[in-house]
Amino acid sequence: MTELRELARRLLSEGTVNAVLGWEEGPRGARPAFVTTPDGADRLIFDHRCVHNLASYLSPRRPHLKRLGKVAMVLKPCDARAVAGLIRETQVPRENVVLIGVRCGGVVTDPDSDATLSEATVADRCRGCPDREGKLADHTVGTAGPGFPGPSHRAQKIEELAAKPADQRWAFWQAELEKCVRCHACRQVCPMCFCDRCLADKTQPRWIESSPHARGNMAWHVARAMHLAGRCVDCGECERVCPQGIPLGLITRKIASVVAERYDFRPSDDPAVPAPVGTYRMDDPQEFIL
Amino acid sequence: MSTTTFIRTGDLKGLVADLRAAGVGVAGPARTSDGAVDYRSITAFDDVVLDAQPRNSLKQFFLPPTEPLFKYQRKGSDVAILEISATFPPRVIVGARPCDAAAVDVLDHVMNWDYKDEPWFGRREATTIVTFACPGGDRSCFCTAVGLGPDATRGSDLLLVPAGDGYYVEVVTEKGKRLVDAYPKRFGAGAGVDATLSYREKARASVEGHVPARPDVIRQWVQEHFEDPFWADISLRCHGCGGCAAACPTCHCFDIVDEPETLTEGTRRRNWDTCQTSVFTAHASGHNPRADQCGRCRQRVNHKFAIYPARFNDILCTGCGRCARTCPAGQDVTEILNRIVAMATGQGGAA
Amino acid sequence: MNVYQPFRVRVEEKIAETADTQTLKLRFLDEDVAKSFDFKAGQFGEYSVFGAGECTFCIASSPTRKGYIECSFKTVGKVTNAMRDVEVGDVMGFRGPYGNAFPMEKMHGGNVVFIAGGIGLAPVRCVIWNVLDERDKYKDVTIVYGARTVADLVYKRELEDWGKRPDVKLWTTVDPGGETPDWKGSVGFVPAIVEKAAPKADNSWAVVCGPPVMIKYTIPVLKKMGFTEDRILTTLENRMKCGIGKCGRCNIGPVYVCKDGPVFTAQEMAKLPNEF
Repeated sequence: MTELRELARRLLSEGTVNAVLGWEEGPRGARPAFVTTPDGADRLIFDHRCVHNLASYLSPRRPHLKRLGKVAMVLKPCDARAVAGLIRETQVPRENVVLIGVRCGGVVTDPDSDATLSEATVADRCRGCPDREGKLADHTVGTAGPGFPGPSHRAQKIEELAAKPADQRWAFWQAELEKCVRCHACRQVCPMCFCDRCLADKTQPRWIESSPHARGNMAWHVARAMHLAGRCVDCGECERVCPQGIPLGLITRKIASVVAERYDFRPSDDPAVPAPVGTYRMDDPQEFIL
Repeated sequence: MSTTTFIRTGDLKGLVADLRAAGVGVAGPARTSDGAVDYRSITAFDDVVLDAQPRNSLKQFFLPPTEPLFKYQRKGSDVAILEISATFPPRVIVGARPCDAAAVDVLDHVMNWDYKDEPWFGRREATTIVTFACPGGDRSCFCTAVGLGPDATRGSDLLLVPAGDGYYVEVVTEKGKRLVDAYPKRFGAGAGVDATLSYREKARASVEGHVPARPDVIRQWVQEHFEDPFWADISLRCHGCGGCAAACPTCHCFDIVDEPETLTEGTRRRNWDTCQTSVFTAHASGHNPRADQCGRCRQRVNHKFAIYPARFNDILCTGCGRCARTCPAGQDVTEILNRIVAMATGQGGAA
Repeated sequence: MNVYQPFRVRVEEKIAETADTQTLKLRFLDEDVAKSFDFKAGQFGEYSVFGAGECTFCIASSPTRKGYIECSFKTVGKVTNAMRDVEVGDVMGFRGPYGNAFPMEKMHGGNVVFIAGGIGLAPVRCVIWNVLDERDKYKDVTIVYGARTVADLVYKRELEDWGKRPDVKLWTTVDPGGETPDWKGSVGFVPAIVEKAAPKADNSWAVVCGPPVMIKYTIPVLKKMGFTEDRILTTLENRMKCGIGKCGRCNIGPVYVCKDGPVFTAQEMAKLPNEF
């Protein structure tokens, strides 16, 4: 922590950046922090409750953050995948942000949790995560635990679902998506939902009905899944934010596995790897093209 | 109304069974498939979970996330409007929390502001709210700061407080009395109000002091500080996700949309909406008077603690704390209100 | 029937005002509604094309003319595009009238100066006809109307009528560069023309509507001439859904445009926060 605070303080006092985005202790556990003065650096924390994917704040869809000027961002190895995604898809110029990597051995699911990090409490996405530090970072601080072995429970749930007959899968998703109230919070927190104007907000034509009924909900979640193919970094923010408790991670992770299988793309923190959407290779599977 | 009675836990189970047998829909806080507790339809009182604040509020029972306003049918150049039935089936909500019951009453003002919102009041009239006094909340609860409390009766038809082998029952409204009168065998003599006092005191102590009960101070500060840098400061972490509004028992903003279902038919619907998104205020021309998240965060606080009080002499917040619990970025209404009170009373500034 | 259910209206006439601005004349289908429908100058309504949705505009016709209403709109979004595509004889929806109105009675016996820019003439036109239909109740009537170019002037046939009337002083203007070779009106921005028209401020009211920048520069001109802020009236628009104070969309700070407006005095406008 001292190392992180000292670095943040230095970056701020030397004027390298105007603000450091990291985590602080809030009224309900760890939460995003926006430190703009060298003294404020003492507010910064990093521990296993820092579950938020701060890369969302780099998205060009957040014009209210522009007034901060140049920022440094504290990021976990997994969040670095999202930053790399934003760079890869030309949403964030690499030189616009200073990246402070923190070594990470896993986080819990709830930033307001009292739990210590253990096999029982670790967030599902950390199970089997190979990255203890991000390669994208300009600075790397801290120490990390050993991490947690796989497999991910969510991956197992996806396999279970996949093994079911289509009508049962359909029934499962109908029941889940029926809960959706179309607040679009999943989109808003997503670091990779960076469209200036979302398909769901377009009215001419109205591609996706905005009403939270079976038709509209299915259309929205299918469209969101397709748009996140090759983008989703499995940070789980959509599922964490959902006020209705819909297991959105099952959808995005399934899509990610399809992309991995068919296009040999796994989200990494290397922005130089071309995005699968927007890249055509002669050997791409294309049997679906008539 | 201020009569009281008593119901044994066994009779409460029986009452729910009686109601269902009579064809009355019953809803209450119950477990969902993902392990949370939501207000939802129940089949028996055993489904009811009383020790956790439900994730959703009662709002959807009166203002559903989506509801048809009417259907239209085209015939050539003509259009027929097909009305939606304005009668609603009777329903009893068993196990409401005082903050959620109060919210419905708070919203009656706006829903009856010069124009009566028939779907809202249709459901209001068809619904009896049986509230259970709150056992106490967590650090985000602040009902006592907005004129309510863990045993507040506002918006409830009956208020039940645990006592002895059942519940002490305060009959709050005529509608509550009708429910008691309809099932006389279920209610009877039992522990008196004294048996409820320690429960009430314990609950109150758990929520008091989280936010000072200074609504007038908050209102005045918000009214006088539209351009304060405080708003830009608190908006930094906001993703504009509107999770707060979805979870909120009093956020009632809505959208009205037409949805064609065939080439000639369709439905005009009303859907939940939130002031936290940019499209909420965006004009078709591209102009957006509330251009960024700073204005949107301010609007939510302003609407609840200044605009609504100025219009209706009532706060558009019942202190349930759901917005703080649901926020993915740790925005916390108790912190916002505490900072406002501190600034207003000269005990601190923007952090 | 709930409060969100519209009256049915039939499109009786459709006039292309400019390349992107239309006027629709709408007559109530229900005879009783047609007879009983009443409104005040300045009020607005929710117009709908079934299947496309609702849109908010002022009523552009005068309350002195019964049985029908008119609206004028620019095609910018989904509903206005659908409204552009309706045909004479088609059935549309209308809810209203909503909101407050211009204080016509207070203006009785006074001079009235109308100042409008572009499509902003639509709400002003409602008041103009109201005044002209009861001409003896008012003293001098001055109209200053400007648009970017000659092609952008709306209600051209009515401008002609007003220009011919001896009891109306009409100034039309287009922005520099917007004139055509046969343009007979002024060239210049609205505030400058208002200064030139120099209506007297004594016992006068000004009704101003147009783009924000026009309003911003016109109000100081009026004040310099001696108009007081409580006698400078304008009408605001904001995105709305319900029109009746419930949907929470049209707040400008504490103000509900749908309930407190759409008509505001310059005095009230000056108090509004910068959120419109």
